[in-house]
Amino acid sequence: MPVTDVHRTVDAVFKLESAKILATLTRMVRDVALAEELAQDALVAALEQWPTSGVPDNPGAWLLAIAKRRAVDHIRRSQRLERKQEQLAHELDPAGADREPEQDDVLRLMFISCHPLLPTQERLALTLRLLGGLTAGEIARAFLTGEQTITQRIAAAKRTLADAQVPFELPPGAELAERLASVLEVIYLIFNEGYAATSGDDLMRPGLTLEALRLGRLLAELAPREAEVHGLVALMEIQQSRAAARTGPSGEPVPLHEQNRGRWDQLLIHRGFTAMLRAREIGAAPGPYVLQAAIAVSHAQAASAEDTDWVQIAALYEALARLLPTPVVQLNRAVAVAHAHGPQQGLDLVDSLTSDPALQDYHRLPGVRADLLFRLGRSAEARREFERAAQLTRNVAERAFLHRRAQEITTTDAQGPTLGQAAQDFLTRDDLTPSSLRSYTQTLRRLCRSLGERQPLHALTPQQVAQVFATTWTDAAATTWNRHRSAVRSFCAWAGLDDLTADLERRTGPGHATRPLSPTQLDALFSRTGLPLRERTLWRLLHESGAGVTTVLSLNVEHLDLEDRRARTGSTWVSWRSGTARLLPALLSGRTRGPLFLADRRPAPARMPAAADLCPDTGRRRLSYERAEYLFKQATKPLDAAANGYTLSRLKP
Amino acid sequence: MRYLMTTKSSSRTPDESLFAEMGQFIEELTASGALLATGGLEPDGLRVTSSDGEITVTDGPFAEATEAVVGFALIEARSQEEAVELARRFRKIVGDGESEIRQVFTQ
Repeated sequence: MPVTDVHRTVDAVFKLESAKILATLTRMVRDVALAEELAQDALVAALEQWPTSGVPDNPGAWLLAIAKRRAVDHIRRSQRLERKQEQLAHELDPAGADREPEQDDVLRLMFISCHPLLPTQERLALTLRLLGGLTAGEIARAFLTGEQTITQRIAAAKRTLADAQVPFELPPGAELAERLASVLEVIYLIFNEGYAATSGDDLMRPGLTLEALRLGRLLAELAPREAEVHGLVALMEIQQSRAAARTGPSGEPVPLHEQNRGRWDQLLIHRGFTAMLRAREIGAAPGPYVLQAAIAVSHAQAASAEDTDWVQIAALYEALARLLPTPVVQLNRAVAVAHAHGPQQGLDLVDSLTSDPALQDYHRLPGVRADLLFRLGRSAEARREFERAAQLTRNVAERAFLHRRAQEITTTDAQGPTLGQAAQDFLTRDDLTPSSLRSYTQTLRRLCRSLGERQPLHALTPQQVAQVFATTWTDAAATTWNRHRSAVRSFCAWAGLDDLTADLERRTGPGHATRPLSPTQLDALFSRTGLPLRERTLWRLLHESGAGVTTVLSLNVEHLDLEDRRARTGSTWVSWRSGTARLLPALLSGRTRGPLFLADRRPAPARMPAAADLCPDTGRRRLSYERAEYLFKQATKPLDAAANGYTLSRLKP
Repeated sequence: MRYLMTTKSSSRTPDESLFAEMGQFIEELTASGALLATGGLEPDGLRVTSSDGEITVTDGPFAEATEAVVGFALIEARSQEEAVELARRFRKIVGDGESEIRQVFTQ
């Protein structure tokens, strides 16, 4: 057999056997990272030997035998090492090599790779790596990201697991439900990443949906008594059954009620029904996945869109919304209610969601509103909402589809300037200073995104503006709120409109409603491994001192009084506690002067800052406010349910 | 990707242990999702021919007994190699003989 063919065979076998091999090895050596190394060794051995010896009769067993032998070698070696490591060796289990791989081992491995300790993205990557046997490159392609990013995620996850000494065992009874929920979540996220690609040119990435289905079916085999597992499998099978029907010839999405049901895959629907029956047989109160699967089953049972039992589906959504009151579920419920009880009732529900900050930039909200408005004959509003939805979606095919829907609506829109046009004219005047331009742009861009660029200027109401403010800037500092408010006032004065800020109070006092991060969030942040020292120190210092961000960034090394744990800057003192004190010496690493927090790189010659902002020793510039905020925002996205990330001001206790 | 595997008659005479091994194999593959549908086929069957719009139905058999397709499996695999690997495991159970694998074009 040619070498490349053997490589592909090895790869195929490894993917089929990966979960079992890694689970067995992890049981033996109690360390996921080490287990993976050993499995890789076995893979390399196969690549070396199979081209000459031929593919063995039972290649899976061959790989497992080699990997086990390596594990035993490793265990013996570490037992011979010095006393300090004896303790570690003690935990290793060479006897485990002779035991048959237990199904529970694979389940244990799943619980580890979906451990709540890990950030979501790391859970997804690690699960695909360990249980799916995918390479970092394959995972990267599936998530449209760089291979290095995935490699780093996997490495970080393994480090976290090792640092926390997560045991290789099934979670104890009380924890089981919660941990199982995390596993289900990971599988469904993988499925959705493939099914409803959130960005890029393709609406679907079939590889990921199939991997998720495999993981789901595997889990159903390992935990057959859990109704929610079968619910998830049923949900995925039925959603996947519509794969061929849900995109049109040019990749545009086809909504469920317009799909050609003849193209639904009856084999998968049948599998979905079977999984659903298994879930029902267990007889527990239906959880969120069983309810979602029941909704999918309802759709699958309708011979045509008109036959859909919307009353039942609306009822199922109501039950689901009680368990899982997320904005997205509420939105889907509104759609079902609109079908079951009329567009106006649906619209009432949708309108109750428009002030939810989590949905502010979610394209489906204006998309659904548009559809309902259109059915109510409010075509001008419908058209605006379709365009707003098109602007918000990141998926190219979907954007084209939404634009087309907007264009198909002929409206008798009152003539006159639109918000988008007026905003643009307002901002391109040449008498604005750069700083007010920046500030006005922020405010007006927000108004355009939330209200639609095609909103006729003269139809704007103070209530609409007030709602945008309430949704966007309720938690902002008073100065921020007032800055946006005065931007709107300037805009109104310029455009000759009545004051649209009539419903908005001017705010007083410092930092209105800047809620500090919760202790759990802080713990999660500071216990994260792999945080750069500079960030760790800056955030600790901000948290312990309660000082302003600009103040802290303006600190110089020569200001520090390490002994007394304080520093003088201008006329104020910044003081810290033990956490920062422990970190500072390493951050300074011998520096005696210049900015305390430095940028990563030296500035380009054309952008040389003032001497006071330059480190005389390293040549690097002072860390900028924008960069510091950006890094924190990125780092805190996993902590934020809305995934926006937080500002540094939230570190203040 | 979906593949259709068809199998011609095999050397091993079906007995209880073959059924047991086969049963377990089918169960495993169904649970893992790899096996979508499978079945045995009657050896003879009917042939439907159309010629100039004229439909003729003929009774079998049509080929040598060793040439007849006696079973099929519709499988879902990540790659052709994976399909071959599953076919290999199947052939290990049923003994000498021949199977064919063809990708099923969907969508």
